[in-house]
Amino acid sequence: MSTESRRGPGVTADATRESRAFRLLAMGGVLVLTGSYVTVLLDVTAVVGGTRRLVALVVAMIATATVLARAIRPRTATVAAVALGGVGFAYYFTAAGLGVGVVFSATWELLSDSVAFATGLSVFQMIDVGTWTLGFVPAPVFLSWYLGLRRRYVASVVAGGTALTFLVLTGDAPTGTTALGTVGGLAAVGFGELERRDGTVAQTDVLAILFATMLLLSTTVTLVPGPGDSSDPTFLVDGDSPTLEGTTTNAPQRVEISGSVELSPEVRFTVHSERAAYWRTGVYDRYTGDGWVRTGQTESYGGELPSPPGETETVQQTVRLQGPAEVMPAAAHPVAVGDDAASNTEVTVHGGIRPDEPLAEGDTYRVESAVVDPSAAELRTAGTDYPADVTDRYLQLPEGTSSAFETRTQEITGDAETPYEKAVAIERHLELTKGYSLDVERPDGAIEEAFLLEMDEGYCVYFATTMVQMLRAEDVPARYAVGYTTGQQVADDEWVVRGLDAHAWVEVYFPDYGWVAFDPTPGSAREQTHAARLEQAREEGVEDVDTNRSEAGHVANASAGSQPDEADRLSERNQTGASVENGSGLHAEDPRNLSFDSNGTANNSSADDPDAASDADRSTDDGFEWPGVEQTAFGLALLVGFVAGAHRTGVIARASHELRLHWRGRRRDPDRDVERAYRRLELLLEREYRSRRRSESTRQYLSALSANGLVDSRVWRVGRLYERTRYGDGVGREEADEAIHTVDAIVRDRTPIVRRFRR
Amino acid sequence: MTDAALPSEQENRAATVDPLPVSDVAQLCEDVRSNVGRVIVGHEDGIDHVITTILARGHVLLEDVPGVGKTMLARSIATSIDCTFSRIQFTPDLLPTDITGVNVFDQQNREFEFQHGPIFGNVVLADEINRAPPKTQAALLEAMEEKQVTADGETRPLPDPFTVIATQNAVEPNRTYELPLAEVDRFTKKLELGYPDADEEAELLDRTVGHHPIERLEPVADLETIVRARETVAEVSVKAPVREYATRLARYTREHARLGASPRATISLLRAAQARAAVDGRGYVIPDDVEREAPAVLSHRIRTAASGHDRDGTAVVDDAIERVPVE
Repeated sequence: MSTESRRGPGVTADATRESRAFRLLAMGGVLVLTGSYVTVLLDVTAVVGGTRRLVALVVAMIATATVLARAIRPRTATVAAVALGGVGFAYYFTAAGLGVGVVFSATWELLSDSVAFATGLSVFQMIDVGTWTLGFVPAPVFLSWYLGLRRRYVASVVAGGTALTFLVLTGDAPTGTTALGTVGGLAAVGFGELERRDGTVAQTDVLAILFATMLLLSTTVTLVPGPGDSSDPTFLVDGDSPTLEGTTTNAPQRVEISGSVELSPEVRFTVHSERAAYWRTGVYDRYTGDGWVRTGQTESYGGELPSPPGETETVQQTVRLQGPAEVMPAAAHPVAVGDDAASNTEVTVHGGIRPDEPLAEGDTYRVESAVVDPSAAELRTAGTDYPADVTDRYLQLPEGTSSAFETRTQEITGDAETPYEKAVAIERHLELTKGYSLDVERPDGAIEEAFLLEMDEGYCVYFATTMVQMLRAEDVPARYAVGYTTGQQVADDEWVVRGLDAHAWVEVYFPDYGWVAFDPTPGSAREQTHAARLEQAREEGVEDVDTNRSEAGHVANASAGSQPDEADRLSERNQTGASVENGSGLHAEDPRNLSFDSNGTANNSSADDPDAASDADRSTDDGFEWPGVEQTAFGLALLVGFVAGAHRTGVIARASHELRLHWRGRRRDPDRDVERAYRRLELLLEREYRSRRRSESTRQYLSALSANGLVDSRVWRVGRLYERTRYGDGVGREEADEAIHTVDAIVRDRTPIVRRFRR
Repeated sequence: MTDAALPSEQENRAATVDPLPVSDVAQLCEDVRSNVGRVIVGHEDGIDHVITTILARGHVLLEDVPGVGKTMLARSIATSIDCTFSRIQFTPDLLPTDITGVNVFDQQNREFEFQHGPIFGNVVLADEINRAPPKTQAALLEAMEEKQVTADGETRPLPDPFTVIATQNAVEPNRTYELPLAEVDRFTKKLELGYPDADEEAELLDRTVGHHPIERLEPVADLETIVRARETVAEVSVKAPVREYATRLARYTREHARLGASPRATISLLRAAQARAAVDGRGYVIPDDVEREAPAVLSHRIRTAASGHDRDGTAVVDDAIERVPVE
């Protein structure tokens, strides 16, 4: 006999309604899961463009799956999805200019790439990530929705979960989104099971407990290091100096922009060079709205690198590291690396160099750079005949860039005609109108818009980021460069570079000349900040602040006055000398400001300095903060889980039982009072003996208990009164009061503690 | 074959009857019960059922082996309430007119005179009803349903109260005409008395040695009291929860048997429950009354797929009582 016929038609209707609700919830779960990874991809397209195409594709896939769910069998659908994925990636390879044949000709490279992505390499680093999303999304969306509609929820969640897992492994899925997707998947499986197994609403509390547990676990156990997770110890080369290494080595392919930062006075390296320069450690091309990503991959150094097209000056440098590093600072643009370091050098597609294996303290390497130093006149005539690969890569703006930003940029570059004039106008505007401060609150939205339109001050990261985006808005190819300023000159050809010399600037592309550096960050006042920090560190006797030769130098001289060449060069060429104090083109921050949030991770050397103290003050002065949406949702989910757990374990039932037992309620009409009194009595009897079976009448119930000598005449009296109210002609006020008082007395008698007192 | 008396005329049927107080009904019932108990050993349950059937204006079918006291039970109850009692022994050659009566030509008055059949009695014992052919059975059952008899185009009302206590022989099935279901449905209850236990049987033998106690049995209630008590029963209140419970029970039997309890069965069930409540001294029906009456009232109207035997009906009703929620 089937369950349905046993339950009878009324119950069956209920069960059908319940199972329909479960189905809706399960499909909702599938949708949430789908939404989670599509959201991650939408974050990508918001940066590189193509949001509309992606959304249209997802909607089309869901529609197709809905239609086909009635038409084709799961096996066919799986084959179709695999084919879909194949077509998607073939499209991607074709669009990326590789051709489908690459699958066969470079299988091994593709596999190793896949592994690289699956171990934390962000999809942002793909050159043609927009097209990639279009290839990636159809198969999982189609398959999971199709399988969900076919009631194969587990398979559906496997399909969607695989997609989400991939994005989690690449480090692109934020914790919140991941948790949401996981909860969605769990909901799909859980409610699907309830639907299939004819579950009841009461059983959903198990799901709620699972949700809460998973959420709790997902916050306490972080399997994959998120982007910018600088505290992950596995990436640290040397635990003693997390600041520099945390900055420059943890996520060399990606930097995020944070709020307030601090200065580290420790010496990082010394350079023997024929001339001063900004010691560049990396360039970034893709802007995500809150940080920078370097697309493309690195290759092993295999001999001389191509030199910039125009006239260049060759500069030989010898760099000696004063601490471990995963970067190779060098003047732009490095063209050759000394033999001793060549085997350990990798080259990015942007022409930068970095070590394959981290470098250790005391390591030295020689590097030859071709420095581009054209005159203003030359740059003015450079034209706009950009190569296609430059415009493809270095003009990208986030999709959501507002028209206000573009309008403002147009106003600023108003009468500038050539790209060079535009760059100068922007640089000048930023230098003149924005103040310098390390103590800024990171804006919620896009950095460049907030900085240009709202903020009054910031530091180099803000200046450089904003300038790059403004140039791109004006169709001038530009990129973001990080590294160190020249540092303290201790001899004619030697410079000492500290953590606080870390800097970010702009490189602009000019046909026939290549990438030319611009520095929109203003000088003077920040120069004093920098110098004061160094002086303070010296007074406090912090280690590693000086090399043997740099100690003698006067602070002001050391930090600002001794390396005028490079700053002057940039300033003069860019005709901003009037606004920038002579010889003060250097400003330094702790390298962390180039990448990661520094709050709460101050290193040893700055733990007791006033900056750190003021930082701490600031964070405590904030006082009470309202929890954000995420925290609220998280707390709510935990609360629901807790309540469900309490429900499961019967705590709530017991508590409410107890309450109902003692709560006699307000008196109304006698019949209601008697009925309520009797219900309380039943509750009491239920607790002490057993509950009344549904098919048992009052009499049968009391008789059954009487047979065991468990109820006395008082109980019977209440039972009889109840019968009269329910089936007979009702009771009077006196009898109702009698029932209430009788039950009160019985309850008192049987409450363990009270009973003890009475005896 | 008959020892029927003339029916009391039916004028009191139309007259308004003053209902007896409920407590008096309970007392009346107790009196009858103890009076009958002087003759019948054991079978208290059966006695109660017969009394409640009379009060509920119904008829009762006793099915059992011969010799367990079916006839004696009927006679002693009839005697106890001081009403006319007639007995019809059903045989294969019994004609319908043997039950209803015939018009006989009176030679002296030179006109036809209706000779009342044994059906004209307050309590009619139809013995071994399943031995008569269907046509004869039908005559009885029509009378039960209509409470009147039609002979030669003339309709004559039956006395009030009018209760048929039919017996049916459970053995010798090949020499009987089984009652059609539609007719079985007209019996409010079907009872099985069963054998007395050892003590009861010894007591029985002790009593019946010498003069049979039935011969010394005196009435304890008059006919008017019975009529008034029946009025009381009719006024016993049946609240919605109880009605719903009865409906649920009936629906349950319909869902779990080939043929379940009919709406007529539900009506009978509530009437029987009313009588039971009154006998218990209550002016309202409680679910317990319904449960108490359900097996006797419903079982014989249920047919299960497995066989036509009533055992299954009993099982279905027991199931219903076990499973159907009271409220």
